[in-house]
Amino acid sequence: MDEEAVVKFVETYLKKKGFKQAELAFHEEIQQQNNSNNAVNIHSDPDLSTLLHSLSQPEDSPARYQDEYSKLRTWADSSLDLYKHELLRVLYPVFVHCYMDIVAQGHIQDARNFFNSFHEDHETMHLRDLQKLEGVLSPSHLEEMEFAHTLRQSKVNIKICQYSEELMMQYLRKSKSTIILGIVNEHINFQVSPGQPISISDDPDAVTLIGSSQDAANQINKKEIHWGLLEDSLEERFEKTGGFLSDSEKTEGETKEGDMDENKKRSMDGGKQASIKKSKKDKAASATAKAVRLEAHTVPAAPRVKPELPLPVMQAEVEQSILEDLRNRVQLSSATLPSVSFYTFINTHNSLNCSSISHDGSLVAGGFSDSSLKVWDMAKLGQQAGNSILQDENDAAPSEHVSGPNSGKRSYTLFQGHSGPVHSASFSPLGDFVLSSSADTTVRLWSTELNANLVCYKGHNYPVWDVQFSPMGHYFASASHDRTARIWSVDRIQPLRIMAGHLSDVDCVQWHANCNYIATGSSDKTVRLWDVQSGECVRIFIGHRSMILSLAMSPDGRYMASGDEDGTIMMWDLSSGRCISPLMGHHSCVWSLAFSCESSLLASGSADCTVKLWDVTTSTKPAKKEENKSGNTHRMRLLKTLPTKSTPVSTLRFSRRNLLFAAGALSKSQ
Amino acid sequence: MNSSIVAKEAIEVIAQSIGITNLSPDVSLTLAPDVEYRLREIIQEAIKCMRHSRRTALTAHDVDTALILRNVEPIYGFGSGGDKAPLRFKRAAAAGHKDLYYIDDKDVNFKHVIEAPLPKPPLDTSLTSHWLAIEGVQPAIPENVPIEALGVTSDGKKSDYKDDGLSVDVKPPVKDILSRELQLYFEKVTKLIARRSESAIFKQALLSLATDSGLHPLVPYFTHFIADEVSRNLNNFSLLFAVMRIARSLLQNPYIHIELYLHQLMPSIITCLVAKRLGNRFSDNHWELRNFTANLVALICKRFGHAYHNLQPRIMRTLVHAFLDPTKSLPQHYGSIQGLAALGPSVVRLLILPNLEPYLLLLEQEMLLEKQKNEIKRHEAWRVYGALTRAAGLCMYDRLKMLPGLLTPPSRAIWKSNGRVMTAVSSMTCFNFSFWDTFIHACIYPATGCVNNCLKIPVNACVEMGFLCGYLFFSSMCVFTFIMQVLDLPKNKCLKT
Repeated sequence: MDEEAVVKFVETYLKKKGFKQAELAFHEEIQQQNNSNNAVNIHSDPDLSTLLHSLSQPEDSPARYQDEYSKLRTWADSSLDLYKHELLRVLYPVFVHCYMDIVAQGHIQDARNFFNSFHEDHETMHLRDLQKLEGVLSPSHLEEMEFAHTLRQSKVNIKICQYSEELMMQYLRKSKSTIILGIVNEHINFQVSPGQPISISDDPDAVTLIGSSQDAANQINKKEIHWGLLEDSLEERFEKTGGFLSDSEKTEGETKEGDMDENKKRSMDGGKQASIKKSKKDKAASATAKAVRLEAHTVPAAPRVKPELPLPVMQAEVEQSILEDLRNRVQLSSATLPSVSFYTFINTHNSLNCSSISHDGSLVAGGFSDSSLKVWDMAKLGQQAGNSILQDENDAAPSEHVSGPNSGKRSYTLFQGHSGPVHSASFSPLGDFVLSSSADTTVRLWSTELNANLVCYKGHNYPVWDVQFSPMGHYFASASHDRTARIWSVDRIQPLRIMAGHLSDVDCVQWHANCNYIATGSSDKTVRLWDVQSGECVRIFIGHRSMILSLAMSPDGRYMASGDEDGTIMMWDLSSGRCISPLMGHHSCVWSLAFSCESSLLASGSADCTVKLWDVTTSTKPAKKEENKSGNTHRMRLLKTLPTKSTPVSTLRFSRRNLLFAAGALSKSQ
Repeated sequence: MNSSIVAKEAIEVIAQSIGITNLSPDVSLTLAPDVEYRLREIIQEAIKCMRHSRRTALTAHDVDTALILRNVEPIYGFGSGGDKAPLRFKRAAAAGHKDLYYIDDKDVNFKHVIEAPLPKPPLDTSLTSHWLAIEGVQPAIPENVPIEALGVTSDGKKSDYKDDGLSVDVKPPVKDILSRELQLYFEKVTKLIARRSESAIFKQALLSLATDSGLHPLVPYFTHFIADEVSRNLNNFSLLFAVMRIARSLLQNPYIHIELYLHQLMPSIITCLVAKRLGNRFSDNHWELRNFTANLVALICKRFGHAYHNLQPRIMRTLVHAFLDPTKSLPQHYGSIQGLAALGPSVVRLLILPNLEPYLLLLEQEMLLEKQKNEIKRHEAWRVYGALTRAAGLCMYDRLKMLPGLLTPPSRAIWKSNGRVMTAVSSMTCFNFSFWDTFIHACIYPATGCVNNCLKIPVNACVEMGFLCGYLFFSSMCVFTFIMQVLDLPKNKCLKT
């Protein structure tokens, strides 16, 4: 290396670093040296020359990124199988940050090239993220795009064993991959574990890049939650009376009941309760019911919690009807599958946005993109069908008895009031009210008895994607494009709580059985659990790879299921915040999920025109035993796939008697 | 060098289209990636909207919604709402540009648009329900995916049967398998009808038909058989009678849903009621067959009239047509009168009594010896007359029942007097007459005039008095037997007094 070259290197180096004064000084010195002609013997110091050489190269050239990344990739690919999967795991964050670095430097074309040459490796796992990133082409986009922004600022946790980490660092140093070394330092946080590498079964959060830092999520998930059921609920009382009957004589049961009643502080309707219980006992004495209930009791009963919200008082006749339903409930299990009644919407012209079924299946609501909400009364529908058949026969006879209460022609009640597509509808537990949420940013409350709009709730600033009545009525939760979920009560036009924290749209919301928590699913691919009383986020469930479309809470309060855009369903244990098992089977959006009343079955309805029934008990029990094992290989058993005739399933609902209702719009094009 | 999907030339073209001609190449080069980024952003939002509309196909409306969400004016004119074919971009390959697309914008003749008939309104949304599964098992109904299709196509290849949708109803051909025993049974019964319709074993067969529970598979065969036999053997009196008995037994069977086959059965039954000729000999008592069939019709109306509102009106219409048609023969009239009378007093009041006066004028011609020389014809006329009297009597009785007190002790007195009549029929005709007159006048009956008329005509004519008396007696007996039946009085008690 001759002297001139060295001078040039130094010059470019200084220029690049922006050391202007130093550069000037350097120039002066050079000139002085030229004048004096006493050269510095650089050749005597080869280390210095190589260092200068490496430094003088335009340091962050896109080519170097490409070069170093491809080298790392081949190295990881050819490493020992034992450590391979751990090393491969590092590739994705490195890839993402390399790409963003290139973009940040403004080399659009090189960024595109880099992306095109390597993105295929990660497509199976991170398709949605890659699609988002692909559009980022200028430094300003990086700033603007929230996803990229958060990625740049946060660190990724990767679990890795000690040996793999050493291997990796050694390789990076040896091959002088300084860029990648920098990325690893800046953006990856190795959680080094001693000993053997972690088994290959994927720990989903190890490979997910989320906006919020993992530590925060872990921190949140440590909070205590009371997932138990409400004390003194009808079900509890019903079960207890059933239990007493099975193991003790009637009189004894009555005295115990008396104690129980005293314990309960609801003295106001104590008399009513007693009378109800007596009638209950008379009927619930059937031997089969007892046997089944005993079986049910082998599962440890859920702990009971107090309601944190003041709950509405149930009327006596309503209580009666619910108890009647409980008595007639079919016990479902993997051996006894439910009956499914399917409501098909026809002639919707692709305009059905959502549908909802009341708890007893007698009312069906459909929200349409023409801003209308239509409610069908199935009982009346049956009558009308009968009449029409008669009319067909007596063609000459005058038709006197066609007209319904509202109109002669329509088979449904039309609710008009929204000024945008209706995205969600929800019936109150008694079916006397229906809530609808719309793209016009409002939620409306309608009375199915008066057939009129009662209240319009304005509060969200963007389309409201989902609205759900609480299991006890009176309260409801809404989820919106404005990234918040809100809790309302029907008698106030202002929200009671605003749950903010999601990084993207809140797409769906669901109440916990005890009304103290709500779960929200979001386009940021996480599900969060919020405390209704405090409005705090108490759990973050990370694992989905695409937007979450449906949520369901098990009636026993332990579990939650969430379904996403890709057809994956995940079962979560609420207390630990961990995924029990991913359920693979659907190959399109999971629009709806529903647990059976005793939490033994999960039903899922999907855009692939199927209803699938999953066994919850087999998957969760072994998982509980082996909770400490990191990788649980238990997959929930798929019990049954029920295909429909080209009808995507948009809603599912188990009635109190465990009859499954499903609804969907017939679509020939799909 | 194009770094983004959007070419810088495209930017230039768009700039020109909005009137910017002096766009520097640098600007378009910088704009291109940004345009791509914005496009992706909007598509991403549009996909969100699509998901929230529970769809898996992106529509122009979704893009509009996404634009509105971003506070951008939506693009108008590209709506693909409803069933209309969405706008399709076509490649202008013919013009030599492989990346040039255009929307096929047809020239539409204004005249055609105006003259075109209004399109059909789209069908309103409706809801149907069916069982997708019953205790986990899918029932094989047309609303569900056919099971064979499930077996053949795997999960991935669902499109095969999805395309058909509901347009094709796969109905498996029904193979009806009749058990050997039932076949034998059917053969035996039909043989009995043809050969020995008077035997005791036939009566047994009728009883079995009326009570056995397992005969439902045979019902279509029997109805077909009945229709066949009636149409072929109109002159075989005994066979017709036997067939009607079979029909009656089938109708009586509580385990058979005969109503499904009523439409096939009714023509044969009506035929046996109002056919011109039933049997080929004079000795054949076709009157009895008509009476029998009339009761059969009444039975059918009583049993199925509630479920099928149009059944009785249709029968009544047919019968009244036969009754009021003077070209029809007298036996046909007789049949229709009996049929109507069997349907109840209100039918008689509604349909027979108003037509009685004109009808009797015609009938009188047939009844009188000097006008009608044919003995048989005259006999038939008297038969019809008897039927009319009976019908009117039933009607009167029905009215009488509505006046409380008339039928209790005083009615006893009437029977007594009638008993006297019975003992001295021939001598006391005059009394009989006066009794009838008082009887009639005593009940303030709207049709009194009519009935009076029908009684007076022959009296004034004073022809064949004996015959008339006989008929009067007959008709009054009819009325009283009916009263007795209704009141459930033992006949002998009445006769004793």
